Amino acid sequence: MNTMSCRRFAKLVVAISMALTCCVLGGVVSNAAEKTYPNRAFEFIAPAGPGGGWDTTIRMVARVLGEQRIITQPMPVMNKPGGGGGVALAYLQTKKGDPYEVAVYSPPLLLIRLTGQTELSYKDVTPIARLICDYGAFAVPKNSPYNTINDVMDALKKNPKSVKIAGTSSPGSMDHIQFLQAAKVAGVTNIRSIQYIPFQGGEGLAALMGGHVDMLTTGMAETVGPMESGDIRVLAITAPARIKEGAMAKVPTLRELGIATDFVNWRGLFGPPGMPDYAVEYLSNALAQMVQTSQWKEICARNGWAEAFLGPKEFVQFLETTNQEYRSLLEDVGLLAAK
Amino acid sequence: MEIARNILYGLSVVVQPVNLLWLTFGCIMGSIVGMLPGIGPATGIALLLPMTFVLKPAAALIMMCAIYYGAMFGGSRCSILLNIPGDASSVVSCFDGYPMTLKGQAEAALAISALASFIGQMAAALAAMVAALPITRFALRFGPPEYFTLMVCALAATTSLAQDSLLKGFISLMLGLMITTIGIDLQSGVQRFVFGIPELQMGIEFVVVIIGLYAVTEILENYKTLSSTGDTPMQTKFGRIWVSKEQWRRSIGPILRQTPIGFLIGILPGTGGTIATMMAYNNEKQISKHPEEFGKGAIEGLAAPEAANNSCSIGAILPMITLGVPGSGTAAIMLGALMIAGLQPGPLLFQHHPEIAWGIIASMFVGAIVCLIVNLPLAGLLVRLLAIPPRIMYPLILAISFLGVYTAGFSTVDLYLLTIFGLLGYFMRKHEIPSAPLILAVVIGSPLEQSFRQSLMLSDGSLRIFARSGISVTLLALAVGSVVFPFASAWLRKRRQQPTAVSH
Repeated sequence: MNTMSCRRFAKLVVAISMALTCCVLGGVVSNAAEKTYPNRAFEFIAPAGPGGGWDTTIRMVARVLGEQRIITQPMPVMNKPGGGGGVALAYLQTKKGDPYEVAVYSPPLLLIRLTGQTELSYKDVTPIARLICDYGAFAVPKNSPYNTINDVMDALKKNPKSVKIAGTSSPGSMDHIQFLQAAKVAGVTNIRSIQYIPFQGGEGLAALMGGHVDMLTTGMAETVGPMESGDIRVLAITAPARIKEGAMAKVPTLRELGIATDFVNWRGLFGPPGMPDYAVEYLSNALAQMVQTSQWKEICARNGWAEAFLGPKEFVQFLETTNQEYRSLLEDVGLLAAK
Repeated sequence: MEIARNILYGLSVVVQPVNLLWLTFGCIMGSIVGMLPGIGPATGIALLLPMTFVLKPAAALIMMCAIYYGAMFGGSRCSILLNIPGDASSVVSCFDGYPMTLKGQAEAALAISALASFIGQMAAALAAMVAALPITRFALRFGPPEYFTLMVCALAATTSLAQDSLLKGFISLMLGLMITTIGIDLQSGVQRFVFGIPELQMGIEFVVVIIGLYAVTEILENYKTLSSTGDTPMQTKFGRIWVSKEQWRRSIGPILRQTPIGFLIGILPGTGGTIATMMAYNNEKQISKHPEEFGKGAIEGLAAPEAANNSCSIGAILPMITLGVPGSGTAAIMLGALMIAGLQPGPLLFQHHPEIAWGIIASMFVGAIVCLIVNLPLAGLLVRLLAIPPRIMYPLILAISFLGVYTAGFSTVDLYLLTIFGLLGYFMRKHEIPSAPLILAVVIGSPLEQSFRQSLMLSDGSLRIFARSGISVTLLALAVGSVVFPFASAWLRKRRQQPTAVSH
């Protein structure tokens, strides 16, 4: 392109965008906020640093909504790490009623309240929609004496301290809870005595591969690579039904092995407390539209996420029952702080 | 022969113009983010993460790795020129790098730092090409007790650096360990010393401590002379960025000796550049014929950690590619990017996506050359920073420090902490308490505690677990040795001199 036509093109762009701005501004003046919503940029919040599950989810949401032209306003993602999501939760409290704030959360939203990390709970945010589910996995080193998850449970029944169980997050968080739930249903009576050794991120997997611990409880996605290469064996996953495609299709669920429970690592979007109804409705409709697109389905398949859309009302109910489940588990192991 | 074929294949991936372009971009970006205090490779990669979604996976990964080791090249620039490290792993470069600048040898210091980084990275990349998988498998033998003894060894070595006053060294060490107890205890989930501030729940970011202790302290210390031109005449004439034959002869030994150590430490998940550089420095000081020159501008004291730092960064990338285990925070972000691209890291990556696995490994080799080409002229420009009067320079540094710390965590609490650590650093300097043990303790204090408690849980409370393997016994012996050795050699020297002392 020569400089002449370049400049002309730039002028055209400026003219169009000015015209558009005038339209938008005119709209603001003549209509109530509700009618023109959304008329400015959103702020999407990942309550953790870049690269993790929360960050990936909300970035993918923003990307699909934008590229499919479902929402045309910009949706920049901001990272607000700290306090296991508590910092972002506190930040949302300062944005009461703001229809332009959207954050992603998952089970820690409930757990950090129950274990006493924060005073704020899921009642201090506005649920918009549940989007996806992910599941937990229980893995052993390749030369482990345990061949099924039932072997592990039998050993625990004889002596709850005999199996050293590693996880990749602190006690009372997802990795810990998902195993306790399985152990409780399997009939291990003294779940408080089970030894749970927390590691940081990839160190848990390294400790398992090196045979330093007997079992690892973690997210499903983390185990795929080392399982395919034969370095570890995945004994069971916490999904309600067997995964249909990929490497995980070979792994049985807890239910198939006679342990009638599942653990869902759900992820959904939330607004600040008191988010106006019209905003919740607009956003949940937009998301309902988004989960139908092939682009979103492809992203879910690639990341091993199960689609699990729930609208705002059902999501609230789901949160209430889930919160009760977590509460009773944490009470059993003496980690419940919130009364 | 298969290795040669794989290497050639990897190189053929890297020299594709697109990949070469992003590699160069990554090297330049890395050198820049490494230089800026507070903005390390993790932040740099995180900021560019959205961009990588649109790139081909090979190009994206090559670029991210380039940012990582590029930052190791750039990290020591400010350490050498201004006594302000950009990141934890470049703290050691201050020890002898800044004294060299004060002696008017800034050009040589910058040159040897780039050359040492280059050689360290080349050697490490070569090792990665030949034996990436077996080496990372060996690293799996490190369980919690081995990690614990390794960290004890590093702490003992660093604390014994302050041999004139071991007590002050220990004060600094303990202060550092105390700082790391702030935050949620990862073993029990209990909050410690948080005082209801949610930002403190995850503990104090070590970048804040380093920038406070160095950058802010440096400025506080120079406050009095800020408006005057100062006693130290400003450097206005600059030589070529190169080293003399004599300097080269002194440096090459340390570079070659400490490169493998950095590489091995890098491969262990969870340890990192700070341990590697501190150990490299201490090793060279212990075996040197003139240990008294260390800290006063000995070029080998700069060359050794610089080489170890880059070989360590190469090592840290490997477990992510070969095992799917991220070795550091930066590697964890890269792992995330790999998985977003639909790739599964692990040994099978070499079979399913050889262009990515071998491409990354070969790019480290080419990246070393690109970084050297980028950094030597860059150093020629940077050295002119010394001609900027302090009254312009220092406010700028202060602004960049606060900005950098803020971008690392997006938290205003960090800004208060930064000020507090600046004052602490000033106090420590006035009382000649060394800061190196504190820095290392802050970086590894939390993993040290975790691995200790993990070990005891594994052994049901028996301390014997720390002697369970040859690795941990050797490391413990080294730890004791590094504290005792300086005393023993000093005592022996004195004994030999005693007859003459008694005779008069």
